[in-house]
Amino acid sequence: MFRASALRIHALAKSAANSTNVVQARPAAWLGVRYMSKHNTETDDQFDQRYENYFNNPNIDGWDIRRGVHDLWGHDLVPEPKLTIAILRACRRANDLAMAIRVIEAVKDKCGNKVNEIYPWYIQELRPTLTELGIPTPEELGWDKPELALLNTDDM
Amino acid sequence: MANTLLALGARQLIRNAISKPLVIQSAAMSGGVEGSYTRTLIGKREIVGYGYNGEPNYVDRSDFPLPAIRWQEPNADILALREREKGDWKQLSIEDKKALYRASFRQTFAEFKAPTGEWKYMVGVTLSLISAALWVFFGLKTFVYAPLPDSFKEENRAAQFRRILDLQVNPIEGISSKWDYEKDDWKK
Repeated sequence: MFRASALRIHALAKSAANSTNVVQARPAAWLGVRYMSKHNTETDDQFDQRYENYFNNPNIDGWDIRRGVHDLWGHDLVPEPKLTIAILRACRRANDLAMAIRVIEAVKDKCGNKVNEIYPWYIQELRPTLTELGIPTPEELGWDKPELALLNTDDM
Repeated sequence: MANTLLALGARQLIRNAISKPLVIQSAAMSGGVEGSYTRTLIGKREIVGYGYNGEPNYVDRSDFPLPAIRWQEPNADILALREREKGDWKQLSIEDKKALYRASFRQTFAEFKAPTGEWKYMVGVTLSLISAALWVFFGLKTFVYAPLPDSFKEENRAAQFRRILDLQVNPIEGISSKWDYEKDDWKK
């Protein structure tokens, strides 16, 4: 009986000692790590360079191109033409023409309500690459307007 | 009999609720979709990316332009075209390029962003509901409710106003402070 009580007291004392240790150790730990956001110190050039390097990776596959595009598309910006060129060349290496056309359409969508100002200039910047790789613009495919319509599932 | 049916139905429901989401999740996360429930949903379609939520599904979205799976299942035509796609893209005709695109994607941006005209339906339904409510309101007012009480009549309200002035209600900053009792009119 006494043995059991002694053991329990020992265990209690031990855990208490441990917890005081933790309390003492904690200030050092949380003084060093502050759980708050940091200001982004990356400049625009570094940002472009990072994505350009990503897409210029010679071993990039379709999965990673999609990941990079979605990542980039999450930003509030129209990607620089050199980034789109890098994406198109990555599509060429991954042998996915459909993705290349889709990316140009998505860039056009990214232009938002400035599409009439940005998009013509953008295509002009992309033109050498488009000609070199044989990628058609959506306009050349007649896809600046809807080509096919779908029945609304509610009307079937 | 009814008891047995109920029990069977409940068991089926529970089994569906437990097993299906688990299967989808594990299939999507591990990539081991062969022979799985996901595979029965997407058929032979190639899983080509993460998509918008990691599930092998197809949605045309402008914020996630590249869905996780291709739209069409591979067939002989498209596989032959894919072989040619590995060569020079300038050798492909416009039709080939369109076919390649349609194999990967369901609708072009112009198509899935085209206005549906649904707003007209919405506006129409909203206005009809509002007009129905107005009919109900005026119907009730005409046939159901008693007329307004006497205190709403002009002379009763004038008498009440006179009483307020006689009692000099709110004389510092309120209504009686604006009343000239000698001239028996509003202060100018």
